[in-house]
Amino acid sequence: MFYIHQTSCISPQHTFGDADINKLAEPAEKRLQAIEPSYDAIPPGVLRRMGKVVRMGVGAAMPLLQNHPKPDGIIIGTATGGKDDCVKFLNQIIEYDEGMLTPINFVQSTPNAVASQIGLLTKNHGYNVSHLHLGLAFEFAMTDADMMLNENPLNNYLLGAVDDICTHHYYFEDKTGWYKKEDVSNKTLYETNPAATGSPGSIAGEAAAMFWVNGMEAGAVAKLQAVDTLHQADESIVKEKLQDFIEKYLPAGEKIDLLLTGENGDNRLLKYYSSCESVIKEDVTIARFKHMCGEYPTATAMGLWLCCDILQHQHIPDHMIKNAVVKSRYKNILMYNNYKGVQHSFILVSGQ
Amino acid sequence: METTELKEQLKKQIIEFLNLQSVSPADIKDDEPLFGEGLGLDSIDSIELIVLLNRVYGIVIEDPKEGRRILVDINTMADYIEKHRTK
Repeated sequence: MFYIHQTSCISPQHTFGDADINKLAEPAEKRLQAIEPSYDAIPPGVLRRMGKVVRMGVGAAMPLLQNHPKPDGIIIGTATGGKDDCVKFLNQIIEYDEGMLTPINFVQSTPNAVASQIGLLTKNHGYNVSHLHLGLAFEFAMTDADMMLNENPLNNYLLGAVDDICTHHYYFEDKTGWYKKEDVSNKTLYETNPAATGSPGSIAGEAAAMFWVNGMEAGAVAKLQAVDTLHQADESIVKEKLQDFIEKYLPAGEKIDLLLTGENGDNRLLKYYSSCESVIKEDVTIARFKHMCGEYPTATAMGLWLCCDILQHQHIPDHMIKNAVVKSRYKNILMYNNYKGVQHSFILVSGQ
Repeated sequence: METTELKEQLKKQIIEFLNLQSVSPADIKDDEPLFGEGLGLDSIDSIELIVLLNRVYGIVIEDPKEGRRILVDINTMADYIEKHRTK
């Protein structure tokens, strides 16, 4: 477990700077694309070389690093990294017959480009690791931070995750049925259409979320109580895992106040979310967040950013609510997400 | 192609290859240094410019010392291109 002290997020919603999550920005061309800031903190000469995913990741990290310039480590989760630059570099190899190639696309295409660019810009020579476990990349980054802080509780880490919608990745995901064929608004993403059965796929999304974490309770926004993962297609086993997770990690005498899920409008995945909701008692608020950021592998980082925002402001926007229960205070938030029906994650976050 | 026209084309190509988003061709003076002061390019940009010369003008620069003489400013680049281009 560790404490989250500061957060930053660039997403398709108004989450950067003066955040306002009550407003809901809508998708364009079936994509929920990030509202990118002007990146004033990144030198222009460096910014011009950055691909979108690197730009978003570094851009989200900079506000935290301006306040805390010397982290003991930088730990980033990303499933795809700079895939657009990777494809450009591979195309150059073919186009120029393995001849003279430019270095920038190659440098930007490696998934560790985000963490390394943050390290270079801040002249940080500490621990610098990128986790690339698809839909669990951020969860493994969190686990890494947790293990590092168990050994060195006084250390500070920049922890985060970023993935973007790149042209080629979108094409492959679309062809393999992970995005909806029909035009859909994020305001109606969870409505079953056609009625009774729903439809497969979700909306493509992207975001970068960063967290300043350490082992010290004083001044923390939230406490990450636990994170666990599971590779499984059987929803009954997922349900058992969630029950065990709650039993093991929820502090004695306390209860879950909010279940935040990664439900994404894909009718093939609904059984997992319904199964997990059945574990929760009726007096628990249930909310969803994929209509805000779309579906992408490290969406739980945006989910964790929202958990911190909810705990800080004690407010959940109406557009997130699935099951409203009047609460005097939100303290314990359980987040459940699954990626493509096989990678499941369980995260427990508590307010102070 | 006239030298003036070549220089204008070269400026546009440099902006495109190096993704100089806030720079227009008019901002680049013919005798302004490309590296350090002036346009402020660096060693990674020099590799991009060598690739530009190869792909667009069919010029191969193998000796780094030769590259330093060519990539001084727009005038030196245009002069070298006029004399050695194969495309």
